Amino acid sequence: MIQFSHVNKFYGSYQALVDVNATVNKGEVVVVCGPSGSGKSTLIRTVNRLEPIQSGQVLFDGQNIHADLKSTELNRLRARIGFVFQNFNLFPHLSVLENIMLSPVRVNAIKRFDASQTAMRLLDRVGLAHKAKAYPAQLSGGQQQRVAIARALAMEPPVMLFDEPTSSLDPEMVGEVLAVIRSLAADGMTMMCVTHEMNFARDVADCVWFMDAGKILEIGAPADFFSNPQHPRAQRFLSDLHVR
Amino acid sequence: MKGFDLLAVLTHPQFSQMLLSGMKMTLIIALGSWILAMSLGFILLVIRMLPLKAADQAVAAYVSYHRNVPTLVQLMLWYFGIANILPNGLQAWLGEHNGEAIFAIVGLGLCQAAYFSEDLRSGFRSIPPGQDEAARALGHSYLGAMAYVLLPQAFRHALPALINHTVSLFKNSSLAMAIGVAELTHAVKEVENLSFRVFEAYLIATSIYLACSLLLMAIGAWLSRDPATMEAS
Amino acid sequence: MLSNMIAIIEDNWLLLLIGQYPNGPLGGIISTLILSVLGIVLAFPLSVLIALARLSRWKLLNWPATALVYIVRGVPLLMLILWVYFLVPLLIGDSVPGFVTMLCTLVIYEGAFLSEIVRGGIIALPTGQMDAARALGHSQFGAMRYVILPQALYNMMPSILSQFVSTIKETTLGYVINVPELTFAASQLNNRLLTKPFEIFAILAIVYFIVCWSLSELANQLEKRIIKQRLGEDQTGMGSLQHGSPQTQGAT
Repeated sequence: MIQFSHVNKFYGSYQALVDVNATVNKGEVVVVCGPSGSGKSTLIRTVNRLEPIQSGQVLFDGQNIHADLKSTELNRLRARIGFVFQNFNLFPHLSVLENIMLSPVRVNAIKRFDASQTAMRLLDRVGLAHKAKAYPAQLSGGQQQRVAIARALAMEPPVMLFDEPTSSLDPEMVGEVLAVIRSLAADGMTMMCVTHEMNFARDVADCVWFMDAGKILEIGAPADFFSNPQHPRAQRFLSDLHVR
Repeated sequence: MKGFDLLAVLTHPQFSQMLLSGMKMTLIIALGSWILAMSLGFILLVIRMLPLKAADQAVAAYVSYHRNVPTLVQLMLWYFGIANILPNGLQAWLGEHNGEAIFAIVGLGLCQAAYFSEDLRSGFRSIPPGQDEAARALGHSYLGAMAYVLLPQAFRHALPALINHTVSLFKNSSLAMAIGVAELTHAVKEVENLSFRVFEAYLIATSIYLACSLLLMAIGAWLSRDPATMEAS
Repeated sequence: MLSNMIAIIEDNWLLLLIGQYPNGPLGGIISTLILSVLGIVLAFPLSVLIALARLSRWKLLNWPATALVYIVRGVPLLMLILWVYFLVPLLIGDSVPGFVTMLCTLVIYEGAFLSEIVRGGIIALPTGQMDAARALGHSQFGAMRYVILPQALYNMMPSILSQFVSTIKETTLGYVINVPELTFAASQLNNRLLTKPFEIFAILAIVYFIVCWSLSELANQLEKRIIKQRLGEDQTGMGSLQHGSPQTQGAT
């Protein structure tokens, strides 16, 4: 469903991604982990081209999203890739319901009534139907992130990307957000998730990618990766985390 | 209208002389009122820092008046109004010593002082309180902390606003024309009337104004180019 | 002196209010306010276009917009008035009233200054807002229209109001080309009475002060309210711009 091949990315002379090759299959949950600054967030942001790359390809549904696309084609592809940010990035001038309805109505030309029905159903799913009329600033971080997930789901994407979805949350709010992501995984959603939550990775992931210095150093099933990491860098990373 | 010919104005002895003296007057007014405004701005700032509520309110009223009344009206009040209620001896002296220009400098200077003092004040307010405490903890006196730690930072914070207001002071020097000062805009109108070369005259004046303003902006950008200036200033 | 001023106002309040209307053109403070409101209202859409052009990566848009802003920032308003006074009749082949000349000048001048405010408001928004809008599939235009501009313009309301105060103050320059407005009316009055210049120009200053001070205060209050909302944003790590929504219960 998502395929990276020979992806290289530079910030000036600094190479943020080094010849990345990997595949996310349909229905698969991939967790990307690694130390800070290893290129995880950069990698996930290349999937919907929030970050441009200098060489290589990122295929989504067989279509190279970094090809020379018309902007309308790019927008159409992006609309089919759900993306959840570390900082939620809800639109502060819109209510929760309007946040979720905006893109279905303006991008996918869904009727307002249908969009609001869908939005309410999704809010119910993330347990926030009672906050539909609230504004983002009136919500806790965990609630905002659940709204952000509902907003992404409203576009009915076949794949969801999570960029450190719990990193800016207070510890007591991490659980409620992970619970929503778990339920999506249980429904068979294809997902790619950058996270530091190793217990979550062990429980939910079908596949773990370990990154350092812009390279994917190890790809494995969570059971193997967590009990028996191959790469020395991954061994050190895990022992530092005390999760072995 | 005649064909476009810049040189017809620039090389004409009378016209070029008029433009030159107009430019000189513009610079005198701009520089004179800038010096007045900056000095008074500092004084207002110091008064405002006194632990006296009345002093604070008086300066606040001063600032409010000068920021909420159009500059042109302030100039007219000085030149047509206040000039008229001065003692006769002083009126006569002003009449002999280019009173228009003096009123322009005083009017523009007093007005811009309000802006400058506010710029400096917000510069001071943007310094975290820890800076003063740190300087005092290191054994600096009040004046020492002010001179080496607080003023340089305040000045740096205030710099963009000070530059903007310097540019607008320079542009406002053209308002002196309305009270009969023979500065650049005034000279241009004269040249236009005598030569009928409107386009050329305007183009020359506009270029001079633009060049000076851009120069001021460039100096401002250069002064605030990197944090190293903090120590230098 | 004060009794003189009161007497002048009693005798001439109509002139200061509406100029010589209906025996002549509408003038006085009504004309000043109409000129200012029209100026800022017409300058506003222009300023948004200039701001977007300056933010554009397309040089053909970016360059002229940048040049326009720098020229307007660097040239005295009076000089600009003279240009418009000279050029507009040449362009349309007919003379235009001073009011129209002044309005055209104000639209250009305020358009450029407002565009800097609008541009600043757009730049000040967190980049995540644009990222989120683009990630949801909005076009650059759609993201601007539905996500970025509504927030930027709301945040910029106090600055826009301050710019309106500046516009009122700038209409006084119309006096130089005999636009019938408040300063012109005062000057007419001065020419008629001859003996009370201080009183007349003091009245003029007081009237401007009352109008501009009230609006400036309004801008300050508005700014305080918006800053308060923005501080709420920092606590939750997210922006907050309730449009007078009812306070629902806060964070759990």
